[in-house]
Amino acid sequence: MTNMLSAAAAAMLLTGAITAAQTTPASPRTQDGQVDLNGIWGVAPLPPAVKAGDSVRWLLPLKGVNPEGTDVFKGLDRWQVDARAAAPNKPEYKPELLQKVKELSDKQGVLDPAFYCKPQGVPRMGPPTQIVQTPGQVVFLYGASNLFRVIPADGRPHRADADPSYMGDSIGRFEGDTLVVDVTNFNDDTWLGSDGYYHTEAMHVVERLRREGDAIIYTATVEDPAVLAKPWTTTPRTLKRSTSASDALLEAPPCVEHDAPHIVTLDHH
Amino acid sequence: MNRRWAGVWALAGMLLGGVSMSAHHSFAAEFDINKPVTLSGTVTKIEWVNPHVYVFLDVRDAAGKVTPWSLSSLGPAAARRAGVTRSSFGQGETVTVLAYHAKDGSNFGFMRRMTFADGHSIELWLGDDAVKQ
Repeated sequence: MTNMLSAAAAAMLLTGAITAAQTTPASPRTQDGQVDLNGIWGVAPLPPAVKAGDSVRWLLPLKGVNPEGTDVFKGLDRWQVDARAAAPNKPEYKPELLQKVKELSDKQGVLDPAFYCKPQGVPRMGPPTQIVQTPGQVVFLYGASNLFRVIPADGRPHRADADPSYMGDSIGRFEGDTLVVDVTNFNDDTWLGSDGYYHTEAMHVVERLRREGDAIIYTATVEDPAVLAKPWTTTPRTLKRSTSASDALLEAPPCVEHDAPHIVTLDHH
Repeated sequence: MNRRWAGVWALAGMLLGGVSMSAHHSFAAEFDINKPVTLSGTVTKIEWVNPHVYVFLDVRDAAGKVTPWSLSSLGPAAARRAGVTRSSFGQGETVTVLAYHAKDGSNFGFMRRMTFADGHSIELWLGDDAVKQ
């Protein structure tokens, strides 16, 4: 009898589990019940390289560019400009500021703050390369630049004792499978992108990191009513989780700017 | 374009675009593609830094006069992923370098190829023909 009851209970549990799995496939959870975002995310694939003995030919294929010709550098520069121009999703500035954005963009080669080893800041720096979660707190690590963000997720408000900064002041909260990060208190020494997209210290950013299976979907929404005609949300990026030991974060070499004194034209990049 | 190289294009797009580790300036603003230079000398220093790796070379001319040059390359993270490490750049070795001279005329260039005494080389291949390698 006991066995029969146990079997029935097990069957009910099993049925319940299957029903739950069919309706909402549960993302992995941490011990405190939040969606588990721990891990290394969005590692770039290996670039193409051809090896012959000790020789390495490191390939940067540039469509329509003759490798022996004289348009190699222009092709290299044009690659990103063309990609950005083709992207339909751009921040929309107030009409009276479009000329200023164009002027900044035209002089981007010398005016872009990120050229001088300053942090690209939130949101231009993109999603973290590693996330470490502890109860009530999420830590974002940016392996490429040795930067970090400690994000309280315990209900506390923004802190009032910090100076404006490149990455701003972040607080997090969990909404189901999504970590929502609210960021304020920015300085105005970053751009949103390479094309002169400046902002003010009033900028407010909301990042969303939604776990979907073995990936995180990352977006950032930027509000800056002083310059933007309407809030701008970045194109969602899908970050796959890495399990390879070789992807463990390393100390990034420091940023040392040698090029600025040698820049003699305003070619855009 | 066949499927295999379509994949390479996608990789290159990520390499140059979405995953850029630091903001890079324009190459055309700094280096003159019409002024390739071939330099032979000894690697005196390798600066493994962002946003570009720098190699310093003492170039000795026929009369024995030594002129120091510095050479820019791509970024260290992209190099590492391509299997090119700091030790690949031959500290203390005598090498021959193909570079593009800086537009400001200083002894500075963008390094495209470094060839070692034993004949092996590290080369950055830029352009469409890459798909035929």
